[in-house]
Amino acid sequence: MAEKELGDYIINVRNISKTFPNGVKALDDFSTNIRRAEVVVVIGPSGSGKSTFLRCLNGLEEIDSGEIIFDGIPLDDNKKNRLKIRRDMGMVFQLFNLFPHMTVLQNVMLAQQLVRKSSTSIAKSVAMELLVKVGIDDKVDSYPSQLSGGQQQRVAIARALAMKPKVMLFDEATSALDPEMIGEVLEVMKTLAREGMTMICVTHELGFAKEVSDWVIFMDEGRIIEGGTAEHFFTNPQEDRTKLFLSQIL
Amino acid sequence: MSNGTSENTELLTPVPSTPLLSPSRVPIKDLIIYLFVMAGIAFIILRGASEQGYNWQWYRIPKYLFTLEDGSFTLGPLLEGLKITLHITWISMILTYLIGLATALLRLSDSIVGRAVARVYLELARNTPLIVQLFFIYFVVAPVLGIDRLYAAILALSLFEGAYASEIYRAGIVSLPKGQWEASHSLGLTTFDTYRKVILPQAIRRVLPPLTSQTISLIKDSSLVSVIAVYEMTMQANAIVAETFLTFEVYFTIAGIYLFITVFLSQCVSLLERKFKVHN
Repeated sequence: MAEKELGDYIINVRNISKTFPNGVKALDDFSTNIRRAEVVVVIGPSGSGKSTFLRCLNGLEEIDSGEIIFDGIPLDDNKKNRLKIRRDMGMVFQLFNLFPHMTVLQNVMLAQQLVRKSSTSIAKSVAMELLVKVGIDDKVDSYPSQLSGGQQQRVAIARALAMKPKVMLFDEATSALDPEMIGEVLEVMKTLAREGMTMICVTHELGFAKEVSDWVIFMDEGRIIEGGTAEHFFTNPQEDRTKLFLSQIL
Repeated sequence: MSNGTSENTELLTPVPSTPLLSPSRVPIKDLIIYLFVMAGIAFIILRGASEQGYNWQWYRIPKYLFTLEDGSFTLGPLLEGLKITLHITWISMILTYLIGLATALLRLSDSIVGRAVARVYLELARNTPLIVQLFFIYFVVAPVLGIDRLYAAILALSLFEGAYASEIYRAGIVSLPKGQWEASHSLGLTTFDTYRKVILPQAIRRVLPPLTSQTISLIKDSSLVSVIAVYEMTMQANAIVAETFLTFEVYFTIAGIYLFITVFLSQCVSLLERKFKVHN
């Protein structure tokens, strides 16, 4: 992709490990650093710990050991730190997780009002702006169940963006979508990437990785097997496991 | 996950209620069967009563409901009792909902003490007879709190029904997809705001039908407070029966009144549910 300026490190992940109660080791001494404006794509077989990594970043999963620092704030037991980090880190889920009892507009306004303490009018204008951006401005008064999967996911992106996050996490954002709807969601994600949003995307969309990523991480068994630019990654992978994985999905 | 979307939608869409009668088709056959069954039950009751030599005296009942003399309307003992019954159930209902919600939230909280307190209360209230609880609260707790028998009755009923209500709330809360919590937390909402804006509005819609059943139980259970001599409708009925031996007439009358109140309540809740369902 076109050269862009990457900033200083915004996320430092040092030696984190996570074992689930059922004994599955999801993250094994995992470390990485992410710069501002960087687009990182995480790929790997299912169960390799990709989603767990994302979920640990904003505290949806607890880590057993290691350290996560987001923009100078450690993610620890301090509830205030946790809320601060979550406020600045947007997350988009595989199953959208929109609030079904609220309209599209209310979904996008809620956190602005409760967390950012924005006034109704400001929250509404920010929400409308974002809904125009993701192309759902004609459905603001609909309920999520009245939208297609692709539309719901675009609303979910707008909802996360409404908090003006410093980083966006995408957890298999297109995996639950019908094929014809994947494109519309990827388009929104590409636009964000080009605008300089720091993004960490767990995805199986290799086209997306090739087009917009600055760095690709291949994970297996809770570790980074290989990392590199998309070009390096797809043309000249070094590790056998990476080659095997790529040969299976390409 | 290919089936993820449909799974999610399924969880969020309430089961549509089947209308009792389809407007396009009058179920004459069903109606005839229904009338037959009802006629059968009426026959058995009347036959049973006449076998015992029971002498029906319905004409004596109206004056226990109300009297109209010289144009002045006076409530009879049964309707006076109904006023107390409604007073007790109205306040108990609000308290039941509050106690139930508080207990459910405690049981789901991170606090070990909170969970233990909720659990002990729940087990005590659910596993001992209401009548024992009424006596306990009236004779032991009420003197300490300095409350009269009416409020002792209200407290006992609320604590008893609140335990059941808490389980209903809890079931509603845990039935929501985990993703709702995660989405809310990932937006930076506190647990309090997540409950207030995301979880409870959805959970309460889900639990309206069982909560209504619980409220109906509350209305009927309020008849038990007659044991601590609160003059609600059942107590009044007992007094009239003791005086007049109009056993069946009086008890059937108050049963009819209870039925009227509970059916009215169910209908109100059905309307409310229909209003909520518009969004889904």
